[in-house]
Amino acid sequence: MNTISPETVMPFIPKKRSRLGILIDIRKNKLLYVMLCPVLLYYVIFHYGPMYGAIIAFKDFSPRLGIWGSDWVGFEHFQAFFTGPYFWRTIKNTILISFYQLLFGFPAPIVLALLLNEVRHALFKRTVQTITYMPHFISLVVICGIIKDFTVSDGVMNDIIVFFGGERTTFLLEPSFFRSVYVTSGVWQHIGWGTIIFLAALTGIDQEQYEAAKIDGAGRWKQMTNVTLPGLMPTIIILLILEVGRMMNIGFEKIILLYNPGTYETADVISSYVYRVGLQDFNYSFSSAVGLFNSVINFILLICSNWLSRKFNDTSLW
Amino acid sequence: MGKYMNKKSISMALSVVVASSVFVGCSKQEAGGSTTSPKASAGPTAAGAKYPISTQETLTSWEQMDTNLASFVPNLAESTFGMQLEKETGVKVKYTHPADGQSKEQFNLMIASNKLPDVIEYNWGGGGTAAYPGGPEKAIADKVILPLNDLIDKNAPNLKKLLQQDKELDKMIKTDSGKYYAFPMIRPDNGLVFRGPMIRKDWLDELNLQVPKTIDEWYTVLKAFKEKKGATAPFTAQYSSELNIQDAFIGAFKTANRFYIDDQGKVRYGPIDPQFKDALTLLRKWYAEGLLDKDFALNTDSKALDNKLMSDSAGATVGLLSGGMGRWMDTGKKKNPKFQLVAAPYPTLKQGERAFIGQRDFKYNPVASKAVTGDSKNAELAVKWLDYAYGEKGGLLFNFGIEGESYKMENNVPKFTEKITKNEKFNLQQMVSQYTKPNGPFPGDARKSFNTFKEQDEAIKIWGETDAAKHVMPLFITPTIEESKELAKLNTAISSYKEEMFVKFVMGKEPLDKFDEYVKRIQEMGIDKVTKINQDALDRYNKR
Repeated sequence: MNTISPETVMPFIPKKRSRLGILIDIRKNKLLYVMLCPVLLYYVIFHYGPMYGAIIAFKDFSPRLGIWGSDWVGFEHFQAFFTGPYFWRTIKNTILISFYQLLFGFPAPIVLALLLNEVRHALFKRTVQTITYMPHFISLVVICGIIKDFTVSDGVMNDIIVFFGGERTTFLLEPSFFRSVYVTSGVWQHIGWGTIIFLAALTGIDQEQYEAAKIDGAGRWKQMTNVTLPGLMPTIIILLILEVGRMMNIGFEKIILLYNPGTYETADVISSYVYRVGLQDFNYSFSSAVGLFNSVINFILLICSNWLSRKFNDTSLW
Repeated sequence: MGKYMNKKSISMALSVVVASSVFVGCSKQEAGGSTTSPKASAGPTAAGAKYPISTQETLTSWEQMDTNLASFVPNLAESTFGMQLEKETGVKVKYTHPADGQSKEQFNLMIASNKLPDVIEYNWGGGGTAAYPGGPEKAIADKVILPLNDLIDKNAPNLKKLLQQDKELDKMIKTDSGKYYAFPMIRPDNGLVFRGPMIRKDWLDELNLQVPKTIDEWYTVLKAFKEKKGATAPFTAQYSSELNIQDAFIGAFKTANRFYIDDQGKVRYGPIDPQFKDALTLLRKWYAEGLLDKDFALNTDSKALDNKLMSDSAGATVGLLSGGMGRWMDTGKKKNPKFQLVAAPYPTLKQGERAFIGQRDFKYNPVASKAVTGDSKNAELAVKWLDYAYGEKGGLLFNFGIEGESYKMENNVPKFTEKITKNEKFNLQQMVSQYTKPNGPFPGDARKSFNTFKEQDEAIKIWGETDAAKHVMPLFITPTIEESKELAKLNTAISSYKEEMFVKFVMGKEPLDKFDEYVKRIQEMGIDKVTKINQDALDRYNKR
C-alpha cells in the first residue's frame, strides 16, 4: 500500500503529555475546534439531552407534574407491554420486516453498483443512475400515495396481473402481501441512492490490481470476484453493521402510511404501535417504555454485529 | 441513510411526516335546513360587558383553523372574520393553529410542553372521545383548564342567560360535580342531523328503481348498479379507523358499530352483540359479490371517495350534507347535468319499520369548545371575549359575518349576499369561511343554511326519521379520574382488535364461525369494565 496513513502525517505526541497536547492543538487549530462546536451541541441537545426524558418509562407521567413530579411506577409499563396482547406480534413483525429488508434491500445497491461499474457507456450509466435515485428525493407521503394508487384493485399492478390472466387483489388489504409490498417498494426507493457510496468506494480500488489481474489472465467475472468485491468489502461490512444496528427502527412512517386494520397482523411493528399508543392515545409513559426496550435491542444487535465482524473480518466500527 | 431515526426524535419526525395520514375527527359543522324555524335562537341581548372592551392585553388562542379558510389566509387573525371580531370586541388575539389533520398530536405535545395559551379550542368533552386523557374533571384537577362557574357568573352574562333558559344545555356542559369547563359549541335544532346514506337518483330512474328502504331493496339496487351501470364499487364510504357506513346498514340489525343505549336504557357495546354477526354476514356477502367497494379500508381520505363518486364507479355512499352531498352535486352536475344524489332513509330489515339508530348530534358538541387554561393570566378578559359570541351582535357575526358585506337583513332574517353565494371563483363554503366561524363556541343560528339544492333540504327530513335520539350515546358524559385511567388502559387494545377483526370478517379473511371467539377475546380485554364505566357515567349524567 502506498497510501499515506494518518500516523505518518500527524506529529508524534507522547502519551504522558497528551492532555497538554490537546491544549496546544486547540491553540493551533482554533478555527477547526470552533467548527466542531455546532456538531457537538447538536448531539448534546438533540441526542443526549432527551435521553433524560426516558425516565418517564418508569413513571406515571403527567405533563402537568413534569418529569420529576410524576410518580415512580417501576417496571409497570414494561410489564404491561410484555404481557400485552400485541407483544409477540409486534416483535415478530419488526424482526421479519427488517430481516427481509436487510436480505433484499441491502445487497440490491451493491449489485446495481457492480453492474454499473461494468458499463462503459458514460451517458447510459449516468441516465440509469439518475433514474434510479430519483425516488429517493420524493417525499414519503407521495411515495406511499403512488404505492397505493398502483396497488388498488383497479391500479396498474392489477391491470398487469389481469393481462397475464391473474385475479385482482387489493395488495394493501392483504396481510400476506404487506411485507412484500413494503420491501420491494423500499428497494425501488433506495437502490439508486445506495449505489452512490459503493460507486465511490469502487473508484478507490487501485487500478494496478486490475492490470495485474488482467496479466494473470482474469476475465471480467474473475476481476469482479477477485478484485472489485474484496475492495468493496470494508465498505459493505461497515454499512452492514450500521444497518443491523438500526434493524429494529424500521421506517415506521412508511408503515403507518401504508397499513390499515386489515393488515395490522403483519404490518404492525413496535414503532407504529408506540405511535398509536403513545402519541395518539396520550400514553407517553407506556410508549417510552416500549421505545426504550426497542433501543436496548438495537444496542445489543449493534454490539453483536460489530463483535462478529471483528472476529471474522477484522473490520469493525470500533 | 434514509430511515435513520433516533428513538427520542420520534415525536418530532412523527408530527412532520406521519400524521398527515392520520385522520383525527375534525368535524365540519353542518348547519341544517333552510326552513326558518320560528323560534330562531339569536341569543339573548347582551347585558354585561361593554363592547368593545378597552384593554391593552393580548389573548392567545390555540384552535383548529377551518380548512376552507386556510386557502385564503394562514392565520385567523388575518381573516376578515378575525379582524372584525377584534374590532367588535376590542380584544387582540394571537392565534396558533395546528396543521390540518395533526391537531390531536399537536394538542398532546402542547399539553406535554406545559406552555399553554389563554384559551384552547378543542374537544374538552368526556367519554372516550375526550382530547385530554381523563376528561374535563382531570383537566381541571391537573390545572390544565379552569372551572368556569365563577367566571361565567361574573363575566359572561350572555352565556349565563342562555344556560338559565335552557336547562338541558346547562346539564350537558357541566361535569358530574357541577363544574363548567368550556364555552360550548351549540347546534341549532335543525342542525342536528347532517349525515346519512345517499344514492344516485339519475341511475335509479334510468333503471326504473325506487329509492331503497330495506336491506333487501338496497341489495337489488346495488346489484343493478354493478351489473347494469358497470359500477366497480357500487357502495363506497370513507374509512377512518371506523368504517363510515356509520350505523347505516349495521343499524338495521338493531345494534351499532360502537357503544349505544338499548331500549332499556342500558349501555351496550354493539360489536359484540349477537346481531352484529348478522350485520357482518351482510357486509361480507356484499363485499364478496363486489357490491361493497373492494378497497374500502384504503379510503382514508375524502379524495379516494370523491374520485369514485365522480368517475361513476360508485353509486351510493354515506356522507355529510353539504361537505358531501352538496359538494358532489356541485361537481357532478358540471360533468353530467343529470347527476343527482338523493338521501335514502336509514335502511331497516322489514318494510315500514323505523330505523333503530342513525346519525344524530346533540345540541352541545364538545368537538370545538373553548376552555380557559390554568396558565391564563387574563382569564376574566378571555371569558368576556368568549361571551361575545353568545350575544345578539356576536351571534350574527359568528354565523353570518358582516352586515352589508356578507349578509343583509331581509324582514329581520339575515340572508347571505350574492357576493357569498354566487362567487365566480370560490364556492359557498369557502366564502363563508372568510366571514364567519364555521366551527366553534357560539350558538349556531337556525336561519343559517348552506343548502344549495332542494335534495339537501329533503335529506335532513329523511335522515331524521330514526330513533337515534334514544339510542345514540351522548358525547359529553364524564368519567371520573379513576375511570378514565382505566379507559385509557383498555381502549387502544380493544379498538385496535375490533377494527382489525371487522375488516377481516367483512373481507372474508376470517370465517364468521370465529365470531364467538372474537367476542370472547374482546371480553377478556376488559370490555365489560369499559361498558360499566360508560354506564355509570351515563347514569350520573342523567342524574345531573
